[in-house]
Amino acid sequence: MPSRRRTLLKVIILGDSGVGKTSLMNQYVNKKFSNQYKATIGADFLTKEVEFEDRLFTLQIWDTAGQERFQSLGVAFYRGADCCVLVYDVNVQKSFDNLNNWREEFLIQASPSDPENFPFIVLGNKVDVDGGNSRVVSEKKARAWCAAKGDIPYFETSAKEGINVEEAFQVIAKNALKNGEEEEIYLPDTIDVGSTSQQRASGCDC
Amino acid sequence: MNGTDIHDLSDDADYAAASKQGSSSMTRNDSSKRSSSTDPEDAEVVYLKDNVTIHPTQYAAERISGRLKLIKQGSSLFMTWIPYKVQSSNARPSAGDKNLYTIKALPFSDIQSIRRHTPTIGWQYVIVVSSGLAFPPLYFYSGGVREFLATIKQHVLIVRSSEDANLFLVNNFQDPLQRTLSSLELPGSLASRIPSSSGSTSDNNLNNKHTPEDGHLSSTQRNNKQRQKSHDPARDISINVLEKFSLVTKFARETTSQLFRDNLVDGHGPNEKRRTNWASKDHQSQDMASNDVEVVPKRVPVPSDPIEFDKITLVWGQPRQHPLGLQEWSTFLDYEGRIVDPNALKKRIFYGGVEHNLRKEVWPFLLGYYSYDSTDAEREYAWSVKKSEYETIKNQWQSISPEQAKRFTKFRERKGLIEKDVVRTDRSLSFYDGDDNPNVRLMHDILLTYSFYNFDLGYCQGMSDLLSPILFIMKDESEAFWCFVSLLERLGPNFNRDQSGMHSQLFALSKLVELLDSPLHNYFKQNDCLNYFFCFRWLLIQFKREFEYEKTLRLWEVLWTHYPSEHLHLYVCIAILKRHRAKIMGEQMDFDTLLKFINELSGQIDLDPILRDAEALCVCAGENGAASIPPGTPPSLPIEDSSIYHNQDDEVL
Repeated sequence: MPSRRRTLLKVIILGDSGVGKTSLMNQYVNKKFSNQYKATIGADFLTKEVEFEDRLFTLQIWDTAGQERFQSLGVAFYRGADCCVLVYDVNVQKSFDNLNNWREEFLIQASPSDPENFPFIVLGNKVDVDGGNSRVVSEKKARAWCAAKGDIPYFETSAKEGINVEEAFQVIAKNALKNGEEEEIYLPDTIDVGSTSQQRASGCDC
Repeated sequence: MNGTDIHDLSDDADYAAASKQGSSSMTRNDSSKRSSSTDPEDAEVVYLKDNVTIHPTQYAAERISGRLKLIKQGSSLFMTWIPYKVQSSNARPSAGDKNLYTIKALPFSDIQSIRRHTPTIGWQYVIVVSSGLAFPPLYFYSGGVREFLATIKQHVLIVRSSEDANLFLVNNFQDPLQRTLSSLELPGSLASRIPSSSGSTSDNNLNNKHTPEDGHLSSTQRNNKQRQKSHDPARDISINVLEKFSLVTKFARETTSQLFRDNLVDGHGPNEKRRTNWASKDHQSQDMASNDVEVVPKRVPVPSDPIEFDKITLVWGQPRQHPLGLQEWSTFLDYEGRIVDPNALKKRIFYGGVEHNLRKEVWPFLLGYYSYDSTDAEREYAWSVKKSEYETIKNQWQSISPEQAKRFTKFRERKGLIEKDVVRTDRSLSFYDGDDNPNVRLMHDILLTYSFYNFDLGYCQGMSDLLSPILFIMKDESEAFWCFVSLLERLGPNFNRDQSGMHSQLFALSKLVELLDSPLHNYFKQNDCLNYFFCFRWLLIQFKREFEYEKTLRLWEVLWTHYPSEHLHLYVCIAILKRHRAKIMGEQMDFDTLLKFINELSGQIDLDPILRDAEALCVCAGENGAASIPPGTPPSLPIEDSSIYHNQDDEVL
């Protein structure tokens, strides 16, 4: 079967409750900010057409509930993701500490074909709050974490003020596309699948 | 937060149940032995383990223990799990409930993976994923997981996932032919099982009566039962990380199933003969029969609704009435303020709701906070007692000093989460709008007090949505708190960490759709939508986000009457889905599109017609409907058992 051009790119936004996932998504897609977003229950997504290298893509951006208790739903929502956006609130230490959990949980539940190279992006949101005075996570610290996790691109954003949101999502789209295309090359190829999956098939040691 | 532990259902209650279970297992063994005597001579039981148990709800009393067997017949390996018989007539779960979960002769060619879980507390359990869906976790009360896996390894190809040492993949593309087939979109592989529309519907309606565990079935009944089983959403009850593997192996599985069926036919002759083989003697051939359904191309016209609304001869959902007013309300009360005929009152409210200004008086009854036979004087007294009780609990967190809070992470996190959520709950409503709104403060205090009143459950997103209308109606802080407590007596399991309350509702929903609209059910099945996650928000907060505020109040009071069913909300889901079934199937919505579509129905649903439909569907489903809902499914009250204390300890906020 000839390889079809991929036009839908699926992006998942994860992070603690209240870090601004819904706001970032709405700021990017609708250029709007509201103080009145409700806590997300279950999951929802918005789509946006993006042009990249003269091709049109639909970016499907998934917004999920931030409370840990709902994480087991992820399996239904994360599948087929092309990029994962990890968001924390620069004013809340815990939301930064949890980034690693979100990342690992995503890899477990979405189970991408190449977890080592799956594209993540980290956003430190709410940099506008109190003119930066209530900030507890430094940019340096955040960048160090991103570097340690395989050079994850990092942006400091404000969904409220629209700071860096567009820029971040351009990188998100670009990396999602890159991931999508790699999969495209990988998937329809039926000839040499053998080697990889067979190597993994180590005996059951039980 | 640890990836592999997240799905553990284990808790301290498990230990308590284990010791109970251990003592009763001796007596149970005798009765269950009979089932093994029906095994045929050419089938060999290669593994047998008693006291393998599923936990359909979080209540230990409702756990279902059974016998797990691996049976080898020819070159095929099958797995069965048969629950023990009910010992007393009033035992819960009933035989019918158990039948929901029975695993009958599941061929390993249909199994994609088995995941072993080893919780720090409690028993090891495994989750088996077959035909794209996960069975409920099987808890090995008497150990034996290792032996189970080792036995499987002896008979079928099983490999350990390189990414997860607890994950064992079965049929993992080892055959080069399968591998090739699986990665090609062959038209044949895409073909799906299609119901024979009208026929299968009536079958489903008929055969949902409970089959006696050792009863004699006519071959027609057996066929029906087999067909029903082939669409059994029980396989989907567990929400877990394994689902993804079903996608990978979908095509491969269909190929294997095909091969398996062919082999079977070759080995045992035509259908007639197959029905008499060992498995069906035990009424266990459902899974084989499931392969015996005609294969047609995927694109099909939308099958007609098995319940044609216009043609039905039943009394259709009665016209809605005007809401109950003050004058009429007084006719329900005796001179001391007791409600003389609670059922008449519930019926009246079911058909009409309550006038807004009367809600404050009526809701506490509907919620179960006031008992119907209490007098005015008793309620007045209770009010003052409960008020001081509330203050006492509230004082528990109010007296936490900043120094103490510093060393009390769980408290700080809970408080933080509540603070974040109350300022984004119904703020467009004048009752809650504006800066420093005192009602928002009240909501915060009530939720935080609740998280101390029920520390195990704590606070979970969605609770503020449930509290908001109650506070809006009751106004009084203490009254609102106790009404909220009453509501969560029933809906609390929606927020369990293991999501058991949600699982059982999603499971029941799937069963009911199968019963009431099998074409729609089959559509969901073919499109990987059987998890019903698109209804998650509806169920979690009782449609709170789906209707305007006033309509939500109306819907809730109608649901709280529990007339004609405790689970009318599930029929409301089906009524809404049915209204849109032609669009859903006609446009071939996939999971994502369906989720988006359902989310966007918010604010677009006309309540009254939906309530009439829901009533009619509930009447149609009758006892078969009730039997499709596992015991303890919210909002059913939990079974009283003071010895079981459900501990939600890990990472609860």
